[in-house]
Amino acid sequence: MSPTMSIAEELAVRGITRREFLKFCTIMAGVLALPVEQTAKIARALETARRPAVVWLEFQDCAGCTESLLRANRPSVAELVLDILSLNYHETIMAPAGHAAEKSLQDTVKEGGYLTIVEGSIPVNDDGVYCCIGGRSALEILKEVAANTAAIITVGACAFYGGWPATPPNPTGAKGVKEIITGVPIVNLPGCPLNVDNLTATVVHYLTFKKLPAVDDLGRPLFAYGRRIHDNCERRGHFDAGEFVEAWGDEGHRQGWCLYKMGCKGPVAFQNCPAIRWNEGTSWPVAAGHGCIACATPNFWEMPAYEPVPIHALTPPTTYPEVEPAKEMSPITAGVIGAAVGVAAGVAGAVAVSQLAKKEE
Amino acid sequence: MAQKIVIDPITRIEGHLRIEARVEDGRIAEAWASSTMFRGFEIIMKGRDPREAWLMAQRI
Repeated sequence: MSPTMSIAEELAVRGITRREFLKFCTIMAGVLALPVEQTAKIARALETARRPAVVWLEFQDCAGCTESLLRANRPSVAELVLDILSLNYHETIMAPAGHAAEKSLQDTVKEGGYLTIVEGSIPVNDDGVYCCIGGRSALEILKEVAANTAAIITVGACAFYGGWPATPPNPTGAKGVKEIITGVPIVNLPGCPLNVDNLTATVVHYLTFKKLPAVDDLGRPLFAYGRRIHDNCERRGHFDAGEFVEAWGDEGHRQGWCLYKMGCKGPVAFQNCPAIRWNEGTSWPVAAGHGCIACATPNFWEMPAYEPVPIHALTPPTTYPEVEPAKEMSPITAGVIGAAVGVAAGVAGAVAVSQLAKKEE
Repeated sequence: MAQKIVIDPITRIEGHLRIEARVEDGRIAEAWASSTMFRGFEIIMKGRDPREAWLMAQRI
């Protein structure tokens, strides 16, 4: 467990084969939406990278994101925590307690250049008394740790915007990291909890390219939060066909139909759950039969979980022509079909162009 | 000779915990446990749709 060992050396010691290592690099290239040729670059970077020191701060949290971390299998938690990251401070899993634990934190902060991961919101009401560790408030600890860090990664909804504790009436004055800390690179990995594959991919990006991944206007990496759940949902076909679950356990629910009418927030939610899934890629909430709650969206707790969400962008299927059009058409129907034919011609054109591009390759 | 011991944070548990103990003649005479984090679940959940309660309470 020498901090001077490279990750490749560590993996070799732990009996991880080169094949498994490259498989992991390929998966990471996929999660990061990088071309497959980048796998070699990731592998080279990880082989030579020294383990960055990491401080994991828990404030107003439920440890759900920590649970998510402990279930990482790409690589397994031991490899992630012990080999890729040098987790110098993490209350839930570290061996020392009390003064010894706080000393680990102070030593790391003194050295500087570490990565800081924040889980949980920071209460600011009443001088921050609603969350204290070692006799100091979360607010005080965060400011001190942020002063010497290379970058901050927030995990989960709470560290992102305040999350559940910040839901009205927000009795403790809970806030997200970006409302308190400025002047430090911050990347947000929201979710309730975060999907640990996105944390692993962010760390791999940081080690490979020496910088944090490209983010949207809310500071969320585009590779993970750039796509709408609804547009990539495996039940989308049922939405387009007008096949909806109307009650829990009804025929449609048993058939795996669309959960929109049961309150699914997929149409307003942005995350890569349908692609990378959860728990070793096993499943995700919609596959399990419950609607998405848009947990990576600011203030999502204020959306009623079981009421349908208004859809602002109407989707093309509302103008799809019938498969067997009625023999006598009203002028309006004819117009709608005309418009649909126009759209179809446009799509055909786009397909032709993409095929042309393929030929040129 | 009484001595006071404080262990904060208690690690390897979920949540934040502080233990204070008063030791007399090598034995603990009195001890206090404090939970040092508060979010106000009971306050925030008031007035909400009961169907959502499980979603929130599982985040304790």
